[in-house]
Amino acid sequence: MILENIALAFGAVFELRNLILMTLGVTAGLIAGSIPGFTITMAVVLTLPFTFGLTAVEGLATMIGVFVGGLSGGLMSGMLTGIPGTPSSIATTFDGFPLARSGRPGYALGIGVWSSFFGGIFSAVLLVTLAPRLATIGLEFGPWDYFALVLFALTITASLSGETLIKGIIAGMLGLLVATIGEDDVNGVERFSFGNDMLANGFSFLPVLIGLFAFSQLLSDIQDTETARKPLMEAGDAKGVKVEHWNAIKTIVKSWTNVVRSSLIGVFTGILPAAGGSISNILAYDQAKKASKESDKFGTGHVDGIIAPESANNATAGGALITMMALGIPGDVVTAVMLGALLIHNVQPSPTFIIDNPELAYSIFIAFFLAHFIMIGMQSFCLRAFLLVVRIPMYTLACVILVYCAIGVFALNNIQDDIWTLFIFGIVGYGLRLLGFPLAPMILGVVLGHVAELNLNRAVTISTTGDQFLLDMITRPWSLFFLILASFSLMFPFYQKHRSSKTWTVFFPPLLVLALSIPMFMMDGMVRTVIAFGLIAIAGYLVVKAGRRGFRVDPDDTPLTPTA
Amino acid sequence: MAVSRDTIVAILLLAFTALMWNASTEIEITPYATMASSVWPQIILVGLGIFSALLLAQAVTTKAPAEFKADRLGPAALLARYRNALIIYVLFFLFLITLPYLGMLIGATIFVFLALTLLGRLSPRMVGVHALIALGSVGVMWAIFTYALHVILPQGEILSNMY
Repeated sequence: MILENIALAFGAVFELRNLILMTLGVTAGLIAGSIPGFTITMAVVLTLPFTFGLTAVEGLATMIGVFVGGLSGGLMSGMLTGIPGTPSSIATTFDGFPLARSGRPGYALGIGVWSSFFGGIFSAVLLVTLAPRLATIGLEFGPWDYFALVLFALTITASLSGETLIKGIIAGMLGLLVATIGEDDVNGVERFSFGNDMLANGFSFLPVLIGLFAFSQLLSDIQDTETARKPLMEAGDAKGVKVEHWNAIKTIVKSWTNVVRSSLIGVFTGILPAAGGSISNILAYDQAKKASKESDKFGTGHVDGIIAPESANNATAGGALITMMALGIPGDVVTAVMLGALLIHNVQPSPTFIIDNPELAYSIFIAFFLAHFIMIGMQSFCLRAFLLVVRIPMYTLACVILVYCAIGVFALNNIQDDIWTLFIFGIVGYGLRLLGFPLAPMILGVVLGHVAELNLNRAVTISTTGDQFLLDMITRPWSLFFLILASFSLMFPFYQKHRSSKTWTVFFPPLLVLALSIPMFMMDGMVRTVIAFGLIAIAGYLVVKAGRRGFRVDPDDTPLTPTA
Repeated sequence: MAVSRDTIVAILLLAFTALMWNASTEIEITPYATMASSVWPQIILVGLGIFSALLLAQAVTTKAPAEFKADRLGPAALLARYRNALIIYVLFFLFLITLPYLGMLIGATIFVFLALTLLGRLSPRMVGVHALIALGSVGVMWAIFTYALHVILPQGEILSNMY
């Protein structure tokens, strides 16, 4: 059966039309990723209007191409100009730029490109093996568990996406509120319409998303007139650079432990809702530096300083796809957009997604593998295209893309109200950005609002009373598991802020691990009981380790920031 | 005492929450529903109210950062800072209002041309370049969506009357 599905998926992915679309997607992603201020999310968001005219396989494969291309594209500008193309490549710049500046730009690019490739392939293998298994665990979830999972996704997004937790949570709640406008899914009752037809119909998810993210991002990019009128960057020195493939591969193979460690960090970060490549590349860089015998050379052009972030950021994509495909929960904003693309094709991501849509699911797996090979092939070509594109001033790009957004949004449902929605949420998004509110929680709120309400409704219906519902929430193991994670994720910003100064932070990790062992004990099966005992052992080890240091905090253990 | 930006934002959020709460009490309650349609929005609004109040408390008790104080601008300076965003919003609004008459092809071309001309440097040469960019970019997008993706974009009364 699996082989049959793989064969079907191979047939769909390797169709000439799909291959052309994927190549275009990877190319667009590589170029978009290399332009500072033009994030991967925006590139994927802008691909969305095209996908409605394609089959589900073609649409998703193209978006995966853009995603993978974007993750790898950021390294080009980071290495050649010192300005990272995307937040996912910030740490790459720390060593990539000095190495390129020392007269070896081709070698630096080669290391970056091939590290991206190996990190991506590593996560693709984990995606294929883990997603179906995680989906079988997801089948155990009842509505209480799903509701708690959504709460966790929102709290961790709020705590990771900005400096102010309160603003992150408010943004998430605004997103949830936006999703309630219009007709209620369960009872068919109109809500918050204020007598307006447009509000009575509710907002389509995609125009909201494009308005919040792309429209507001473009306006932020052109805010300063002088900067907007200049070419995107000066990359004149990069002419004639040739990627040193063979030397790079040999170097990376020698540092295979770094590749594996960084890829694992990337996959794990991707699995967590909302934690994307912007976090994983810095985490992996930090771990590589700690593990290296030449840590003092980091920042001067050390190859391990390029391998770690580039392996990690591509591996993050695989992790995010695992969460999306196995649980129907977006791992980050990019997969939230992909979830939107699935909805366009009437495919509902859930734990039964892989079973219900095997051809599409396996096509996603194969497309993710294939995108990395295309990325390698297109890198040299895109290096030339990058040098041309960066000569365009930002205001020109922004004006053209704004019209493209309007046309694309109209194309989704063929109604002009969607362009108004784009406009309104463009204003909202820009305002929120200026006021310091992170947009990721709001976007996730809009995406997950319906899922949360539907599962809350189901849970309340089954539990029959409010008290019984609350009891079910804390006595069902998976629900309790996610509620514990949600509670700790709310505390995480405080832990991050004080972990080099306050003693209580020493107990935060062991307490989390210990708390998670409780729902594991409540679950059926010997394996989970063993895992629970394992978690207690880890908690004990962490306490003993801290005790040996006299429960003192490490002053050097400062929170990681992009400027670290 | 200077009122910080977050204080104003939090007060506005609380007012918005109150308005929405009031609207939520008017949501129809159906006899067949296990959970009334107003319950979920009201849960969100309670949360929004609590966190807006926390934001207000935080804004009132926290000293405004020095850069924020230095950042206080008069109306003219504010207008200058957000000039480009305002231009785009006004032009986009006009584009939307005139869309039924001008249609996507003409309306979008005019929008791109005006936006480029107002945001970019003003010279006869640049006006020409902007006109070419507007015609080329919108023309290509219009053709892709119309002929390759078979989307019927708004034609507008002007073009409709011509045929």
